[in-house]
Amino acid sequence: MQLNPCAKHKLVRDSVRHFAETELAPIAAEIDRTATFPRAVIEKMRPLNYFGLQVPKEFGGAALDSVSSAIIVEELSRVCAAIGLCVTVHNGVAVYPFLKFATSEQKKHYLPKLARGEYIGAFSLTEANAGSDSASVETTAVKTKNEYILNGTKIFVTNGGICDLALIFALTGFEPGKPQSSVFIVESKYAGFLRGELENLCGMRANPVSSLFLEDCCVPEKNLLGKIGDGMKIGLTTLDNGRIGVAAQALGIAQGAFEAAVKYAKERQQFKKPIASLQTIQNYIAEMATEIAAARLLLYRACTLKDEGAPFGCEASMAKLYCSTVASKVTSLAVQIHGGYGYSKEYDVERYFRDAKVTEIYEGTSEIQRMVIARSVLSQLIF
Amino acid sequence: MTKNKQKSIWVFGDYRNYYQNRVTLQLIARAVALAKIINAEVCALIFGYEIDEWIMEYTAHGADRILAIDDPALKSYSTEKYLAIIEALAKERDPEIILIGATDFGREFAPRLAKRLKTGLSADCVGLDITEDGLLLQIAPSFGGNMLAEIVTERHRPQMATVRPGTFKEIPHDYERKAVVERLPLMKGLPKPRVRLIEYERSVEKGHTIENASVIVCGGRGMGNKEKFKKLQELARLLGGDVGATRPVVYAGWAEHGALVGQAGKHIKPKLLFSFGISGAIQHTAGLGEADFIIAVNKNPQATMMKMADVAIAADASDVVNHLIKELKKRIKE
Amino acid sequence: MLNLVVCLKQVPMVTELPWDEESGTLRRDLAAGMMNPACKHALEAALQIKEKFTAKITVITMGPPASEEVLREALALGADEAILVCDRLLAGSDTFATSLVLKEAIKKKCPKFDLILCGAYTADSETAQVGPQLAEELDLPAAAYVEKLEISGKTLRVRRLVDNFRETLEMEFPALVTISMENYKPRYTGMAGLKDAFDEKAVMVLNARALGLTASSIKTKGSRTKVRRVFLRKAQKGNVLLQGAASNVVNEFLDKYQRKIGTVIGKSIEGKKLDDEK
Repeated sequence: MQLNPCAKHKLVRDSVRHFAETELAPIAAEIDRTATFPRAVIEKMRPLNYFGLQVPKEFGGAALDSVSSAIIVEELSRVCAAIGLCVTVHNGVAVYPFLKFATSEQKKHYLPKLARGEYIGAFSLTEANAGSDSASVETTAVKTKNEYILNGTKIFVTNGGICDLALIFALTGFEPGKPQSSVFIVESKYAGFLRGELENLCGMRANPVSSLFLEDCCVPEKNLLGKIGDGMKIGLTTLDNGRIGVAAQALGIAQGAFEAAVKYAKERQQFKKPIASLQTIQNYIAEMATEIAAARLLLYRACTLKDEGAPFGCEASMAKLYCSTVASKVTSLAVQIHGGYGYSKEYDVERYFRDAKVTEIYEGTSEIQRMVIARSVLSQLIF
Repeated sequence: MTKNKQKSIWVFGDYRNYYQNRVTLQLIARAVALAKIINAEVCALIFGYEIDEWIMEYTAHGADRILAIDDPALKSYSTEKYLAIIEALAKERDPEIILIGATDFGREFAPRLAKRLKTGLSADCVGLDITEDGLLLQIAPSFGGNMLAEIVTERHRPQMATVRPGTFKEIPHDYERKAVVERLPLMKGLPKPRVRLIEYERSVEKGHTIENASVIVCGGRGMGNKEKFKKLQELARLLGGDVGATRPVVYAGWAEHGALVGQAGKHIKPKLLFSFGISGAIQHTAGLGEADFIIAVNKNPQATMMKMADVAIAADASDVVNHLIKELKKRIKE
Repeated sequence: MLNLVVCLKQVPMVTELPWDEESGTLRRDLAAGMMNPACKHALEAALQIKEKFTAKITVITMGPPASEEVLREALALGADEAILVCDRLLAGSDTFATSLVLKEAIKKKCPKFDLILCGAYTADSETAQVGPQLAEELDLPAAAYVEKLEISGKTLRVRRLVDNFRETLEMEFPALVTISMENYKPRYTGMAGLKDAFDEKAVMVLNARALGLTASSIKTKGSRTKVRRVFLRKAQKGNVLLQGAASNVVNEFLDKYQRKIGTVIGKSIEGKKLDDEK
């Protein structure tokens, strides 16, 4: 594993940073305040291939490695986490399962549209009574002649308000005690696909998170992803990858808040000197810097394993757990360093503070990550 | 060439418009001072058509000798023709130094001339000095103007520099002064220019430019948003000035690229510069080197821009703009 | 097919360039590099030509090994070939030497070029000299500060603004232009070009010897100027700080400086606040 960024990763970072600072920075606070999804910016991101980060070139993607992909999400989130979220959900959990499980027919049909960003994707597992426990979904899919009829309600769907395509987890086996879930490619234009109101959330407010209602939604048979009963497998595989994305997002938020805090600490004068010269503030800054650096290494390690084709689930969970913990801590300290101003919407750190929290919750809560990590450790034979 | 021939400092006569012409006069003045130290003459070059006015002007402002070619073929500026002419003259007369105003034209023309004469050239100098043995010390800005470099051409002659307009003061005219005026015929066999001038007009839209505005109201991201930024226009109107902007603001679409002040944009030299909500990154301050009196407004009194200012106002930039507009409307008497 | 050559330079991101007070030098080593902004505009102009006609874009830079980064960036943006001229012997070259080296590289690797595009000036040294001097080396018709290019057949028409004159010029290929920052706003780097830009074989590296230059020939044909020293420009001012509510500081400011402002704008300004409410 390369510990210093190679020229490619530097250029990836510079390119995205330039885009984010030019296009997202001027609107980030505003779209958060008004909870508006910035379609105009998304239009600019499409031709730049932000929606096909790891899709092979033959399908019109950028075919980038996982570290590059993480850097991209990190840099977008450093400026505007809600857009980072849109991109990482699309690439990490909507497109990724296609790469892993789709038939060549499905790939040929959907990947170019997804890679171009013509279709924005969503991943739809969560229900009122099913979170990380993918086995307990209640949405059902009943086979007719050559279609599946889906019924059920999905909640907290990231990109839900705007997605053109969602991967829907639904029950296809009804043997008592042995629920079998499967995954369906559902386009928003299908009859019976309905969106709920946008959620009114604490952070990431510019992302249109919504419920999805499936009311006798007819899905062609060929839109089954993987095999019947593959739901659990697809869910777990996808979440491993999604966790890398959330970790990258958390890291970007932490980085953004950290930079704002350092800048403020150097500018803000108290007792006739910048507060950065006070030891307490210096301690905060040292801690933030160190933890962000550690989080970054953990994240890139998971990415590197993934690119090498090695198992990376445990490492992805570690990265997600640690990066999100660091994000919450760093954004909180950044508010603290800003004092009263940090609690005001005048300053960006207030937004970072709200955005960070959810990284400890979605794509598996920190508690679930600990469970995954512990299971992996306990299963190792060396102990 | 004889050994004890008269040393000469040449100044290229860039007379096309008033502003350009002042540079030539400023350079003649500096050349006169330098010439004293090395005991040389100051020679002005004028190539054009119906150029008597400039011969008179340059004589009155201190030139000892004029090399003039007055020919209809030189009616408009031509890099290629001038190159051939000066190359021939320089090879024949061997000047010690050639100074050229750092106008757009000068900065395009001088590098080719230096290359053709196989000698060094420093760009856009903001200072010139000379040692007693004739080494020209060329002070040129570096890194966007916050650093200065002292540059010399040790072994090759002539020593060449382009010099930023406004660096030196011209000598007051004296129309009684006399100079040796050599009217030369246009050389035969000049190459036919390969660049054809199709259209040529004095730019109207740039007649008044931000570069020569005496009042400039500059805004940065600290103005808050596009609507608040637009208020600067009203303030600029009240003060009879122009609006400038920093790079982030231009990129955010609050202002046109033409308003960009700094390294990538315009270099300004206003008598009064109002700076609102600008932190003072070097990309911006690089364009402010010649501002006379700076008033900076920023919430943060420690911002670089505030330290550069003559008057620093620690307050919200947009609030101050609104109050200034209100107060000036009350107070200005036509 | 049009053969385009774009000359690029890597410059330090100046905001990050600290000044070492003790030694009186720039800490260049600490600065990250970026593609010089005007060069990026020149590349954009070439990319727009490529979109309109069939064209091949060769990008070239001279500099330390790290300047390969700007070539990779150019490849990611859509350039086809990249040449890095890199040799310790060439360190510290002035514009005279740089234009000579670029000429040798272009003559060796793309002698059949139609148009060379350079940035009008660089952000670090701002000499604006390499473009015109390269034109002189290659004996080309040239135009600096070009805002707009039009090509028909082998004829190039350019529009530009020099010293308040708006000019339209025409010349035949091969030619050289330097591009101003007025138009040709650089596009964003897309994600799709990044992978292939880092193909190992995408950048050709040439040293001085490959260009037929030796230590002694560089000495005689190379740099004409020498930088004797670099120093910090002194710009400290006597600073007046006003603080308080916006309405109060505005009045304080106008009371204090009414005459100065009035003189500059050529109008008289009331010294004291008018109490028009009463």
